Amino acid sequence: MAEQDILENVLDPVGQPSGIFGRISDPTSKNTGVVLDPYRQPTQKLTSMEGQLMASRLDTLDGKVVYLVETGFQGAKDFMDQVAEWFSREMPAVKIESRSTQGSIFTDDPALWAEIEEKGDAAIVGVGG
Amino acid sequence: MTAKFANYVARDTESHGMPLRYAYPPYPVGWVSREVLRGYVDGNDPITGKPLIQEMVDALIHPLTDEEKNPQIAKRPKRPRLLKKDTVENYKRMFIENGWTDGMPIELPTEERVAEMLTGTDHPPDEVLGMMSVTTHEERYEYTVEKVAVNAVMAGARPEHFPVILALAAGQEPSMPSSTTSFGRMVIVNGPIRKQIAINCGAGAFSPFNFANSVIGRAYTLMSFNFGNARINENFTATFGNVTNYNNMFAGENEEESPWEPLHVEKGFKPEESTVSLFRGWNINHLGMGTGGQMGTSNRMIDAMNGLQSIIPGGTFVLDPLAAKHLKELEGFKTKGDFRQWLLARIKKPQEAFRLRVPATISLVVVGGEWNPMFTTTDFVHTQTVSIDQWIPKRGIRFDENPIRMPSPVTCKDGSCWL
Repeated sequence: MAEQDILENVLDPVGQPSGIFGRISDPTSKNTGVVLDPYRQPTQKLTSMEGQLMASRLDTLDGKVVYLVETGFQGAKDFMDQVAEWFSREMPAVKIESRSTQGSIFTDDPALWAEIEEKGDAAIVGVGG
Repeated sequence: MTAKFANYVARDTESHGMPLRYAYPPYPVGWVSREVLRGYVDGNDPITGKPLIQEMVDALIHPLTDEEKNPQIAKRPKRPRLLKKDTVENYKRMFIENGWTDGMPIELPTEERVAEMLTGTDHPPDEVLGMMSVTTHEERYEYTVEKVAVNAVMAGARPEHFPVILALAAGQEPSMPSSTTSFGRMVIVNGPIRKQIAINCGAGAFSPFNFANSVIGRAYTLMSFNFGNARINENFTATFGNVTNYNNMFAGENEEESPWEPLHVEKGFKPEESTVSLFRGWNINHLGMGTGGQMGTSNRMIDAMNGLQSIIPGGTFVLDPLAAKHLKELEGFKTKGDFRQWLLARIKKPQEAFRLRVPATISLVVVGGEWNPMFTTTDFVHTQTVSIDQWIPKRGIRFDENPIRMPSPVTCKDGSCWL
């Protein structure tokens, strides 16, 4: 095959965009013969990720409960501690609840999200990176 | 998110149709003093130039915009099967400049070459194998048997290699997940196919001395570019990168010389089945030397594992068969399971999985040419084992008339190197 030969039968190597996001295990997959490590695989189903919209905003933070959630990345807790100190210093009317997610940085913490939904008015989550 | 990830987040937001509100402190927030972090909080967001903490407050109290109330997901168009016609020279440039390769020469995936590769399986070309992304959250790209064949051709593989490459694709796990920490990968094949297609399990198994090890391992990373959509400095964030990703430490387990049951049997497969097992981690310490003294090898392995800096709990020891035989015959570990429990009781790592002695935390693989009772220590964790057999044609592996074989590694069959 010479460098200047013209070809019209070369295939595209790239996969097709699927419209599906996230690397979540699909329990309905037809893929058999695969052993996954249950200790580290996420179990959330794809369907539970659909249709989520942003929450309405608050009029003010005064008197409100704001959760500061650090997700385990290096330095995140120290950074969130500084954010908490800022609120204490500059906006003392805001009630701050500081939390760390349980497990590793790669695991979900549904119990914490439930707590925030029940007891919190807003949440700041970070720091990623 | 830190400012370093602003582009990453923008891409993510567009993909998901969910414009979450972000504020960006400077990078990094790790490994810096509290005074520096306070300066971040009191200072400006380097992306917007606005006071950081005020952005965070505003994000909670400013009403949602119409765009935020009615998010739209950016639809990426379907890709045509064939590329536009061009010269061979231009195609070679195109594949490199589009980020579809590792930069080394490829075979252009013409229809003829792809059709030949497809003779390596009975599965139809349009069968969907799965989806992949190098991130945990971005759009996954779907791929068929034919797409896998395209990437196998590009890597220089032959039809005899195709069942193993299909099994790797079926795992739906990219060889190099995106992380600033720069993931490495190890791939271990078990079962009869190792010998049938001449996968190196012995001397220099991780070195570039074997055709099958090189092209199959390379195909795995080409698939990660093209199915996992890895884009450097966009969604692929490895600071150093990881040299293992060139062929992903692809090798076979030296079952014939191992004194223990093979890895795939541990995972529930039959000895006569062929499988491919995936391992993911970061650190590799290649020089681990066993000794002849009582518990000498095992104690050195503990020291080596304790010395690795790892984020996720776990590790894999790769043992030369001499080291494995030493552990069984001189130190009394009759099975991998016995030895694993002994190790878990003694490795001093803070992570819970070590403390709880979760068996999956430690893997043991026997690879090597019996030159010395050495071991390699890694913080790699086993992620999955995938069957190869379902991808092999019913009439058997499709060999070339004269299969390509590189020089075979020297092996020690007479026991003279059993020190």
